[in-house]
Amino acid sequence: MGVPIESSPPPGWEREGIDSLLGMFPPGRLSEIVGPRSSGASSLLLALIARITTSGRGEGRGQVAFVDGMDALDAASTAAAGADLSALLWVRCGGRLRVALSAADLLARCPGFALVVLDLDELGPVPASAYIRLQRAVEGTSTILIVRSERHREGTPASLVLATRRLAPQWMGLRPLTRLAGLRSEISIARSRLHSLSQLGRGQGEGFQGEGLQREGLQREGSWTLDWTLSQ
Amino acid sequence: MMRIACLLMTNESAAQTTLLQVALAHSPRVEDAGGGSVYLDAAGLQSLFGDDATLAARLRDAAAAAGLAVRVGIAGSRIGALAAARFGSGATVVEPGGDAAMLATAPLALLTLSEALATRLSRWGLRTLGELTALPTAGLFERAGAEGVQAQRLARGEDPRPLASWRPEPAYEESVECAWGLETLEPVVERLGELAARLCARLGARGLAADGFEWICRLAGGRAHEGALTPAVPLTEAAAVTGLLRLALEARPPRGIVEGLTLRARPTRAAPAQESLTDPSRPSPRFLAATMNRLVALVGSDRIGAPALLDSHRPDAVGLGAYASPSPLRGEGRARGSMVRGRGPGNAPVLALRRLRPPAPAAVTLASGRPVAMRSSRLAGRIVAGVGPWRSSGEWWTPQPWLQDEWDVELADGTLCRLAHDGSAWHIAGIYD
Repeated sequence: MGVPIESSPPPGWEREGIDSLLGMFPPGRLSEIVGPRSSGASSLLLALIARITTSGRGEGRGQVAFVDGMDALDAASTAAAGADLSALLWVRCGGRLRVALSAADLLARCPGFALVVLDLDELGPVPASAYIRLQRAVEGTSTILIVRSERHREGTPASLVLATRRLAPQWMGLRPLTRLAGLRSEISIARSRLHSLSQLGRGQGEGFQGEGLQREGLQREGSWTLDWTLSQ
Repeated sequence: MMRIACLLMTNESAAQTTLLQVALAHSPRVEDAGGGSVYLDAAGLQSLFGDDATLAARLRDAAAAAGLAVRVGIAGSRIGALAAARFGSGATVVEPGGDAAMLATAPLALLTLSEALATRLSRWGLRTLGELTALPTAGLFERAGAEGVQAQRLARGEDPRPLASWRPEPAYEESVECAWGLETLEPVVERLGELAARLCARLGARGLAADGFEWICRLAGGRAHEGALTPAVPLTEAAAVTGLLRLALEARPPRGIVEGLTLRARPTRAAPAQESLTDPSRPSPRFLAATMNRLVALVGSDRIGAPALLDSHRPDAVGLGAYASPSPLRGEGRARGSMVRGRGPGNAPVLALRRLRPPAPAAVTLASGRPVAMRSSRLAGRIVAGVGPWRSSGEWWTPQPWLQDEWDVELADGTLCRLAHDGSAWHIAGIYD
């Protein structure tokens, strides 16, 4: 009896690090991705969206709602990341914070979305009560709720806060440079309210301190160094 | 004994449905032949309407009362009835067994033939159906095959095919007259909910769903408040319909006392669905429809949907398509995959670009043709590294051609962004993140 082809990773796939990283976000909880411009936070989001929209079979793929506070989503990058655009509900809020918060609240209360993203970027300040309301909206559901913003706000009920940090851009060529190849960034756990680190990644079949993580992406406990490649 | 009546409109065929309704009022079996003609089964109608001549006159009068000028023919076959209607005096009856004789002088064009057979018969010099019936059947079969023999049988008035019965689409409409006027919104929604429950029950009994609703509130003073809604997904649940109606009426309530209500549903075929045990959960159509309507009210209908890449090389060529609740039986789609499969080199994670919409105008300082500093409302600073220009252009054959030079630059604070020059001004297209 042969092994089903579709269950095997594609040839050359060696990114256990990012795969485990993406499996950390707990369902039914509020998580945050924070980081300044050009730190890889949006790339991490796109990778997660791609992972979820390509899970499942046929029309049963995971559905993602993306509340775009600043109308910043680039569909070409999203498709290049491997996401299925037909499984993505894009809500453009045109820089209106209150509209973005209301839209995220509505979508978090609509059962069935595997992932709801609230991309605030530079919008703010967001009252802590809004975070609490969002957290309560997804409690007891299987929805992953992620807020992406520039900086972490103290007092939020986020169960997991990942901080991204820019390390260095990757250029091709030497004097003169010929092309931007990508970006190297570091992702670390700024805060976790889960019971233990080993709880992270449960459900994906891999523990937080799995061997693959240490070998591939993990440089020190709780942080990853990732290379994001610019798609042409 | 087969008796077929043909109603043939002499003017435009735009009132085909009306003609069908006229025919259906006289016979339960009606065939829509299109192009302003309708066949009906006239056998056994003598006890109701009298003999064939009386029936023909009655059909013509009924059509005239509906505003249609028709010619009527009654014969033993469809083609006989058609010929009687077309070449008769207006209400023509062909006696039983007389189809072949009546058809003998009819032109060959009365038959619907393939182009090859029509050409062949024309080359043989045949002009009328009588000439076709006079040919020896065996020889006709050898030369024209089964289609030729079938055409000869039709020319003799031998048409054993039964009528393809036409049924009108049932009207999914419910109304209620209120014993006393409704002044507040809540009882109006409650009555509409009752109408929706009746409609959904009728639709469900036929395996249908509704993809559109229209309502009419009859107000005191003879005025009316009308509205319509299109749910994101076809609905069969009365509670979901009621919720949407409530939202729509709250957004635009009737201005006056409501004395009567009518609710119409537009039926559509409901796709069967079976949930998967292993696939990720999907939004329920009921909740999704309500949420989508609230979101549309919040952000506007042009700002919500599924992103769709347009067939253009123009930068940021993206549109918004309709986001539909997926059905598990609607195609198999792509294969299972639990890992990220970007199209980047070696399947590496892809660097995202955050678009600035609209692009932020920027003042760029050049040195030797290369940008060395920039200033805008969003970003400012010295450029420490940059590559470009990446030149692109397109749609020069349209009234809106575009031309763009793009630069990928790194600012002194580490920000990576994409600068663009459209031939006249600089702007920031996006920030890499």
